[in-house]
Amino acid sequence: MESFEGIYLNLSKQPGRTRIAEAGLAWKPPGTGETFTLDSSQLVQAQWSRAARGYEVKILSRSDGVVQLDGFQQEDFERISKVFKSWYSINLENREHALRGWNWGKAEFGKAELSFNVQSRPAFEIPYTEISNTNLAGKNEVSVDFSLPANGEETGTNGHLGGSRKNGRKSGAARDQLVEMRFYIPGTVTKKEKKEDGED
Amino acid sequence: ALNGTEEKKFKRFESYKRDGQLPTSVKDLAIHVDRKNFTILLPIMGRPVPFHINTIKNASTTSEGDFIALRINFLSPGQGVGRKDDQPFEDPTAHFIRSLTFRSRDVDRIEDIAKSITELKKDVVRREQEKKQMED
Repeated sequence: MESFEGIYLNLSKQPGRTRIAEAGLAWKPPGTGETFTLDSSQLVQAQWSRAARGYEVKILSRSDGVVQLDGFQQEDFERISKVFKSWYSINLENREHALRGWNWGKAEFGKAELSFNVQSRPAFEIPYTEISNTNLAGKNEVSVDFSLPANGEETGTNGHLGGSRKNGRKSGAARDQLVEMRFYIPGTVTKKEKKEDGED
Repeated sequence: ALNGTEEKKFKRFESYKRDGQLPTSVKDLAIHVDRKNFTILLPIMGRPVPFHINTIKNASTTSEGDFIALRINFLSPGQGVGRKDDQPFEDPTAHFIRSLTFRSRDVDRIEDIAKSITELKKDVVRREQEKKQMED
């Protein structure tokens, strides 16, 4: 069993304790709250990366979608990758994110997330569960709306799990909550519309 | 310059090379302006995502009840409707983030951020113009 303190579950406000055992993972909020557990059979993929709050272990689970555990130390990588390999036969993929500060790249659709890649490195990823709506907002423009609690106060898990967020509510716990994102996706539409002499 | 009609060239820029360069303040999952590195850091799904000031067109706020909304518009192709669209891009065929909107209850802080973004943008544009005048 490996144990880590100061870990945030799905961008929770309060950090808790994460335990990794052969049977699976658990996250216990501070105080007497309910413990979140994830059976080892649930694990599909795992990624290690630098997040806002320390390092993050991001897990793709079979039924809970993307589970984010933030707040690890850089040196925890070896311990975690070792037990993930031996207990779950899962490779903890070390992923470096793009830090160039560019707003152009490639929006790519993975198993559970939309990833915006800058020079083959993700700048950020958005689990599909966090998206409430998408629209064709204009010529070559796609808008993506995010699920947020209506009054901004609802904790997503009714105060359980240390105020962590259920899937579809992750950014709702943040001080600054992402509401909408618009992409410019060049396509063939512009070219067609530029033919003004009615060839179509 | 050829009759003053020489095409503007795209100049590369970079916010950070390593994650160790990120300001430590990003751990509060809030928006930050890193003037030293000409970068705005936006929290997206628990990650501090840098956007260089050169990618930003403008920032504006709107009041929404208890919340304030901050909209950041980025430079992308196809926006120069009505005026000359001579903004150069490294790769106009790429996908672009055109805008990001955040909401927050920290009205004063968000207004300050919008102001800092506008000022930083102005500074950078002014510096570019001064540089150009020196070159001429």
